Amino acid sequence: MIMADDVAMTDAGLCDGSIDWLTPENAHVYEGAFSMLCCAVNGAEPVSGVFAIRLFPASFPDSYIALLTDTPGGGTTEVGIIQYLEEFPVEEQALVRSSLARHYHEQVISRVHKVECRNGLLFFDVDTQRGREQFVMRWEYDRAQEYGANGKLLLDVEENRFLITDLAALPAVDKRRFTRHIYW
Amino acid sequence: MAHNGDVHANVPAFVVNAIPGPVREQAVAMGLKDEDCIFSACSDIGLDDGDHDNWVLVTAAGVVTLAAGAGGPPLRGPFGMDQIRKIRLFQAVGSAFLQLEIDGTYVDVAHFSNALRDTFSRLRSHVEQLVEGKPLVDAPGGADSRRCSSCGLPLAGGDESCPRCKGGSGITARSIGLMKPYWKFSLIVFLMLCLRVALSMIPPYLVKVLVDRVLEPRSNVEWLLLFVLGLLAVAVMVMAINVVVGWISSAVGARIGKELREKLHEKLLDLNVKYFDRHPAGGLMSRVLWDVEYFHAFVDQVAGGFLLNVMMVLGIGIMLFYMNWQLALMVMVPIPLVIVGTTLFWKHVYPKYYPVWETQSKMAQHLSGVLSGIRMVKVFGQESRERTRFGETAAKMKSARFALQSSSITFSHIMVFVFGLGGLIIWYYGGRLVLDSRISLGTLMAFFSYVGMFYGPVHALSMFSNWMTGFVSAGRRVFEVLDSDSMLHESPRPAAAPDVQGAIEFRNVTFGYEPHTPVIHDVSFRIEPGQFVGLVGRSGSGKTTLVNLVCRFYDPQEGEVLVDGVNVRDLSRQELRRRVALVLQDPFLFRASIRDNIAYGCTEADPVAVIGAAKAANAHGFISKLPGAYDTKLGEMGAGLSGGERQRVTIARAIARQPQILVLDEATSSVDTEAEFEIQKALARISRNRTTIAIAHRLTTLKNADRILVMDSGSIIERGTHRELLAGHGVYANMVNIQSQLACIGTE
Ligand SMILES: Nc1ncnc2c1ncn2[C@@H]1O[C@H](COP(=O)(O)OP(=O)(O)OP(=O)(O)O)[C@@H](O)[C@H]1O
Ligand SMILES: [Mg+2]
Repeated sequence: MIMADDVAMTDAGLCDGSIDWLTPENAHVYEGAFSMLCCAVNGAEPVSGVFAIRLFPASFPDSYIALLTDTPGGGTTEVGIIQYLEEFPVEEQALVRSSLARHYHEQVISRVHKVECRNGLLFFDVDTQRGREQFVMRWEYDRAQEYGANGKLLLDVEENRFLITDLAALPAVDKRRFTRHIYW
Repeated sequence: MAHNGDVHANVPAFVVNAIPGPVREQAVAMGLKDEDCIFSACSDIGLDDGDHDNWVLVTAAGVVTLAAGAGGPPLRGPFGMDQIRKIRLFQAVGSAFLQLEIDGTYVDVAHFSNALRDTFSRLRSHVEQLVEGKPLVDAPGGADSRRCSSCGLPLAGGDESCPRCKGGSGITARSIGLMKPYWKFSLIVFLMLCLRVALSMIPPYLVKVLVDRVLEPRSNVEWLLLFVLGLLAVAVMVMAINVVVGWISSAVGARIGKELREKLHEKLLDLNVKYFDRHPAGGLMSRVLWDVEYFHAFVDQVAGGFLLNVMMVLGIGIMLFYMNWQLALMVMVPIPLVIVGTTLFWKHVYPKYYPVWETQSKMAQHLSGVLSGIRMVKVFGQESRERTRFGETAAKMKSARFALQSSSITFSHIMVFVFGLGGLIIWYYGGRLVLDSRISLGTLMAFFSYVGMFYGPVHALSMFSNWMTGFVSAGRRVFEVLDSDSMLHESPRPAAAPDVQGAIEFRNVTFGYEPHTPVIHDVSFRIEPGQFVGLVGRSGSGKTTLVNLVCRFYDPQEGEVLVDGVNVRDLSRQELRRRVALVLQDPFLFRASIRDNIAYGCTEADPVAVIGAAKAANAHGFISKLPGAYDTKLGEMGAGLSGGERQRVTIARAIARQPQILVLDEATSSVDTEAEFEIQKALARISRNRTTIAIAHRLTTLKNADRILVMDSGSIIERGTHRELLAGHGVYANMVNIQSQLACIGTE
């Protein structure tokens, strides 16, 4: 989890070791002013300016989602953790998912048209949900990380994220093109 | 609204992108005027799900976000400057948000990718200035030091040079360059190879004469013995040349291997800490140990394999065409197939090498991890899990090897078959020529001998690429280390070394391990020579990072660190190291004797100095009780000593250096209270004439410090003496309270 210069994550609220689970019974997620996510837990005063992060972004991208909010001191505090998002009403799921999508800005790669290796850089030409695009990444071990059971997350030179959710789902040619260079 | 240029004379405008017509119309409709716009920027990610560009416009009165061409009300705002409490950039994962604090919560006003980080950083500082009512100054933008100035490629930071612009001459060319100092040997080898090729041309020709003049006409029978003796002489000479060439090439190869290993080792010592954060030790070890081996083989290959084969192919080709050009052409028929085969090889077999190399280095990493952490493995009873993990790597290696070998064997046998085709062609076509009496039987026999010698080298050449691929990637791994710019460059003109005093100063230092995530924010302080300064703060607040900067393990992204009044970047490495000694948070000891460990930083292991340092560090007592005393050999990571003992040895090591600046990072965290008291006394003694920075969680350690700096989230939030800080009832006083309460519990 990376935070910017202006914001530091603190571990306030996680001290006693107990987990505040958020379930459809005790928590309600809705959209407030300025499209901000709000969350009401156990009928208490709702918290606004909530955002969602994944606790296991690589191994469980769709479960263990923590909802955080800012503290006046400039840190963040945890509202609670959602273990199974799919238990929530569809519209609440959608809100949490869109918060996740905003927080993890990722292009999902559906086709790999070309991968070239020059001077220790990989030049990609791919299809994503935004359409066809090109990007450059360093050909280094930590720039392509595991994602879920059979996916890969690529970090380009600008630290933008490109995601292949399931390698096996790529067309065979694309997969070969890809694994020729990213074989780990 | 302002297009580039036509702005109000009095207000500096920083229009980053030319505002498109529709946005301008929307803004005008809201009652804004051209000259109002102070800053505008277009973000590259939409706030809503629509696909309109989002524009953030900043005026003296406020901030508004518009969606280009969407019409309707603004996407966010307008927010008046008086509504805005704070503005910040919030770094999410893979992108960032510009957020305004309105009524106690942060509202997103723009969402942008990391590429636009600098633009929005400037926008932020402008809005901040406007909110605080300060005069507008543009943040130093313009040329971005984190990008290559010619191609714009983002760089890892520091002084890394651009890999795209640097290019890099071919691995092969550079490897041949390595042989340059041995050009005399190379010349000898070359001449001998020429001779050997010429000699190889003789036997088939003798065969032709033998068949045509002796065997077929059954005359000149006495020549037979002469011919055989001739063949023998050629064979003996070829053998002698092979031995000498082999001998020279292995001598040169071994030398190049040695030189490269030394260079690599030297470079590894030069690389900065960041490089080692990123590259696991196991992988680097395999480069020094195994990848260099390829270079040795490379010399052999160039001398014995490649060069010879090329000359053979040329020589034989000439002989074939000289004897009969039509038949010679027939021999060439399979050659296009060889070329096609080689191309296919590059496409399909070559990529199979990668996983093999990868698993090799994974295996090395696994081993180095398990072996250095063997105690952890045992104490957690994880032998079976490690076995499984190793098994997985081994299995991966097995399948990668199998995939590689099976396809490369298939490939090479297909090649053998293709070459066999050439023989069939000669049998048929040459046989017809003999039957038509167009060529003699001797010529056909000679053709066979030559062709037998011809395809061998051609095949070897096609396999050479096979071998070369292994070499090229090993070469790349070696050169990657050698070329790595991941170094803290020493200034080409180091400042004249100032007097050793021991002053330290931080001026507006900002630093982060990752470029966009600073862990030290704008820190400034000055430590006078001889002061004893305590550094306290929560875990993760940046204390170790701060002292890392003093030792110049990393360079700050902004601001400067000065030692004795000189920026550490301008101090030569020796000068800096001479002044500063460090005791690390996790004590590290080499696998050597205690004496060598203590004297590690000194030019000579003077026993008196060693004992003195050990005494000062309160380590003498336990060392002298060891059977081997100061000559006791320590195991891996100081095995054989207790945690506290290890810590005291590392303190002794730092003291033995006689540094003017002593940095102690939690140096007394694992000694008992009594020993700590002793060390404290020792410290008081040794720190009398030197600057000491001590990081400690146990605050009693710092009671006598001249000054205490309290850090939180990368900034210094309090500073003063123990007494002053206690009186201030701030964070430090609170920490002291908690600790003394804990101490009370202990005594209850
Ligand atoms: N090599 C590194 N790469 C990336 N981030 C790092 C690295 N080392 C430390 N950090 C991060 O920098 C921050 C400050 O770390 P630092 O080691 O300076 O803390 P500290 O104050 O010394 O803590 P402690 O009291 O626990 O030793 C932490 O958030 C840490 O996660
Ligand atoms: Mg530390």
